Amino acid sequence: MIDFGGILSGLQMALSLEGILFVFVGVFVGTFIGLMPGLGPISAIAIMIPMTYNMDPTIALVMMAGVYYGAIFGGSTSSILLNAPGVAGTVATSFDGYPMAQQGKAGKALAIAAIAAFIGGTVSVVFLMLFAPVLSSVAIQFGPPEYFALMLLGLTAIASLSSGSTIKALMSALLGIMIVTIGIDAQTGTVRFTFGSANLLEGIDFLVIALGIFALAEVCALIINRQKTTFNAKTIGSLKITKEDFKEMVGPMSRQSVLGFIIGVLPGAGATIASFIGYTTEKRFAKNPDEFGKGSIKGLTAPETANNAATSGAFVPLLSLGIPGSGTTAVMLGALLVLNVQPGPLLMTENPTLFWGVIMSMYIGNIFLLILNLPLIPYISKILAIPRPMLISLVVVFCIIGVYSISFSIFDLYVLLAFGVIGYLMRMFQFPAAPFILAFILGGMLEQSFRQAMTISGNDVSIFISNPLAATLLALAAVSFLFPLWQSYRNKKKSNQTLSM
Amino acid sequence: MALTVHRGISIVLIIIAIFYLYLAFQLPSFMNTVIDADTIPKITGFLLIVLSVLYFFMPVKETEAEKEKRTEAKNDWHYILGMFVMTFLYITLLEVSGFLVTSIVFIFVCTRMLGYKKSKTNIIVAVLVPLFLYLSFTFLLNVRLPTGFMPF
Repeated sequence: MIDFGGILSGLQMALSLEGILFVFVGVFVGTFIGLMPGLGPISAIAIMIPMTYNMDPTIALVMMAGVYYGAIFGGSTSSILLNAPGVAGTVATSFDGYPMAQQGKAGKALAIAAIAAFIGGTVSVVFLMLFAPVLSSVAIQFGPPEYFALMLLGLTAIASLSSGSTIKALMSALLGIMIVTIGIDAQTGTVRFTFGSANLLEGIDFLVIALGIFALAEVCALIINRQKTTFNAKTIGSLKITKEDFKEMVGPMSRQSVLGFIIGVLPGAGATIASFIGYTTEKRFAKNPDEFGKGSIKGLTAPETANNAATSGAFVPLLSLGIPGSGTTAVMLGALLVLNVQPGPLLMTENPTLFWGVIMSMYIGNIFLLILNLPLIPYISKILAIPRPMLISLVVVFCIIGVYSISFSIFDLYVLLAFGVIGYLMRMFQFPAAPFILAFILGGMLEQSFRQAMTISGNDVSIFISNPLAATLLALAAVSFLFPLWQSYRNKKKSNQTLSM
Repeated sequence: MALTVHRGISIVLIIIAIFYLYLAFQLPSFMNTVIDADTIPKITGFLLIVLSVLYFFMPVKETEAEKEKRTEAKNDWHYILGMFVMTFLYITLLEVSGFLVTSIVFIFVCTRMLGYKKSKTNIIVAVLVPLFLYLSFTFLLNVRLPTGFMPF
């Protein structure tokens, strides 16, 4: 059943002056930060969190969501102009976008990317409207065992789907769980791992972790690349696209809107994976796959549609289950908890204005993004000319002020710095940081639901197996954990055999 | 068996896990709970040891790209260290000399250290951005930032 009352109140909120203003602020800041190579959507959201204190939670989430999809939208510009992707989700955009720009068709590439992103973003919001309520109504019957299994699946899925080594991702997740156990245990009041420090009794705030591991660590990468990328705004050229160009775009746009959305809904996968899968599937479908990588319109349209569709898809589990499917939505969930909003299956019925307001505002946000990224892009891309050394110092100041304004504690700032060092080391040794932050956010809930389930069952582990839904989810988690390990073992064995032959 | 980078990492992780487990075993227990506060930490610590040991014995070969990523900072490590030291000083002085003064000095010095030479632009940005932040946090968000020895 469609909740028309909720949709209307959401629409009213989204069309209010405040709603329009803050979705604009969100997408503008998102585009701005997304443009900066190195600064990703997680840093963008974390930097914006202090701005949302005292704000109405609905407006705050509208803005935060705008930052997220704005960052993905804006990230494509630096992929195309500089071959330096602003965010990981737009890496595949540079495969054909940058060659096109080198051929003197930068304006056309930007226009194609903006239209593809707009279609992907808008179509997937329609799917979000349809699927989030359905999932909510199913999830409302979930108890602690199902939630425990679901969170475990989310953790193992991100480990196996995130690029690179699975075992590193899992270890990174375990470290995240370790950090979240610091502080007073909510159930027994036991003080855990505080080394007697009163500053650690309440645990480490997630903003400290997000800004440290992501923003400060990204600053180090900016330092290394501070001399790179000189940008000349004059080289953009005409933004016009012809009817023939548009005809080529229709196929990939319609397919990737759907595929990207589905990938976004899956736990662990997000914009980055969607864009790569989008690129490779379109290459397989194409009549002239050789064109891909040399400035193909299809090759540019596919990842741009898919990554923007995936960002709306990622909101399905976040809004309807209260479980983040990726590092970025994990930070978004953390931001909501700061605002005292608990997303989950009850959100739609208890707070329909927030639920539908966020969804409705996404239509408006996408229109703003189209305006920002189409006629205004030659002006906005001048942001790329900000000298890196200055950008680095400013990001550090934003991190400091962000943490200080929530805790007023110098101790937390030192912890922030420590996590900056940890984040840099993780980057250096290629330990993925997304599983860490996801585990940090999920870890507390994971422990809570595990203990609740065990209390319900009277300390009987079989509650996770006797419950069919929980058992299925746990089996899926086990498969997604063991399959990549087995696969890499088999690959190694194969390559060893060929070596010894 | 050579001590490769990945083996070094796994040894560090094993040490972290053992230390964490040691602390977990020190936690007091409660009689009337089904799952006590030390259960999840113990499982987590054990899993980390298992995975780290597995990782130690995995035949991991560092690719060229990975090596490049690991050593990409070799010419810039003093800048990164400098940035961390300056951030440390910034934090330490924040409540002593106030947000405005500390931030202005930090932005100017840090930007210059990282190689931006146009002093005029640098001064303008270093003064205007903290001033804007200070005013908006104080008056729009009602968040009091430290003033230090300054009256505002």
